[in-house]
Amino acid sequence: MPPESAVESHHFEALGTDCSLFAVGQTRGRLVEGEFWVRRLGVLLTRFTSDSELSRLNASAARWTDIGPDMESVLRAALRAYEMSGGLVNVAVLSSMLAVGYTRPLADGPAVAALDGVGPLPPLPDVLEVRDGGARVAVGTGIDLGGVAKGWMADRLCEALGPNSLANLGGDLMAVGDGPRGEGWPVGVGGVTLSLRNQGAATSSVRKRRWGELHHLIDPRTGLPARTGIEEVSIVASSGFEAEVIAKSALLLGPDIAPIYCAAHAMAWWLGGAHVR
Amino acid sequence: MRLLLIKAVATALTIGATTASAVFVTAHLKNPAAPLQPAVLNTGNGTSTTSMDGTLTVGPSVQPSNAAPITSTYAS
Repeated sequence: MPPESAVESHHFEALGTDCSLFAVGQTRGRLVEGEFWVRRLGVLLTRFTSDSELSRLNASAARWTDIGPDMESVLRAALRAYEMSGGLVNVAVLSSMLAVGYTRPLADGPAVAALDGVGPLPPLPDVLEVRDGGARVAVGTGIDLGGVAKGWMADRLCEALGPNSLANLGGDLMAVGDGPRGEGWPVGVGGVTLSLRNQGAATSSVRKRRWGELHHLIDPRTGLPARTGIEEVSIVASSGFEAEVIAKSALLLGPDIAPIYCAAHAMAWWLGGAHVR
Repeated sequence: MRLLLIKAVATALTIGATTASAVFVTAHLKNPAAPLQPAVLNTGNGTSTTSMDGTLTVGPSVQPSNAAPITSTYAS
């Protein structure tokens, strides 16, 4: 067995969740720079402050709005997620989020739900247009970037942290390189340890961010919280972003189709819930 | 004699170049776990086990480990 290399690690809270950065052959200062980047992106991408770049875009009422390169990349990733998932991963979910009462950080408690009038989400390309340095959102719609942003950010962090690093943003993670022992990065997935090497992982669940019968994971086909019989999905794929898209899609597809879908698209998968066979 | 020498040198150069190429390629794999294209990665040949209250399936491009996890994927 090769000798274990020293791993520098850094843990912090951001994006409303726990974040961890690991790297071999990097200084702690480099990881702290990663934290600053996460916090800066969090300020840009949150929908809970009125002056964030995302909130300004949501309020733009179909006018083209100037956006920075990071926002542009995340929005393009969201459009790609929509295509990859056949429309199941749709960030044009803001109206449903507000309808179920998710109007502020859940640490502050949910608001009263008002589900009358909630319906299927519009196709994302009808809602969101992106061009170089700008974007616009259709009138009466809005976007919430959610897990798509976290998976995308984990991938970008690993690019910045070097060839042997791991970034975990609230369970959406990317691991590059051979890890501390040359065998890949040991990562817990579905209760067991897997060695990830240039692979990402993500979990999609209706068990967290839940209040009463409602939760945050919206089914775009109904506009309501998903009820598919699968409660939680963890995925290993070629990137954190891809794992996030596959995890959410599998959960929405339900217990009959999800195993086939995962077998076609994922490298490893854990399906949890009472109806999973 | 000179012709023989030229053939020997050419043979040695060929063998050397082939060996060096093989060593270089194996030492510079960009991603040893890279899947084949297209993006259909598995054909149902993963190993499935019951884990917690669900089923874990691990495809051939992921290796289980006996090491303690340094971190985990989880719902947040």
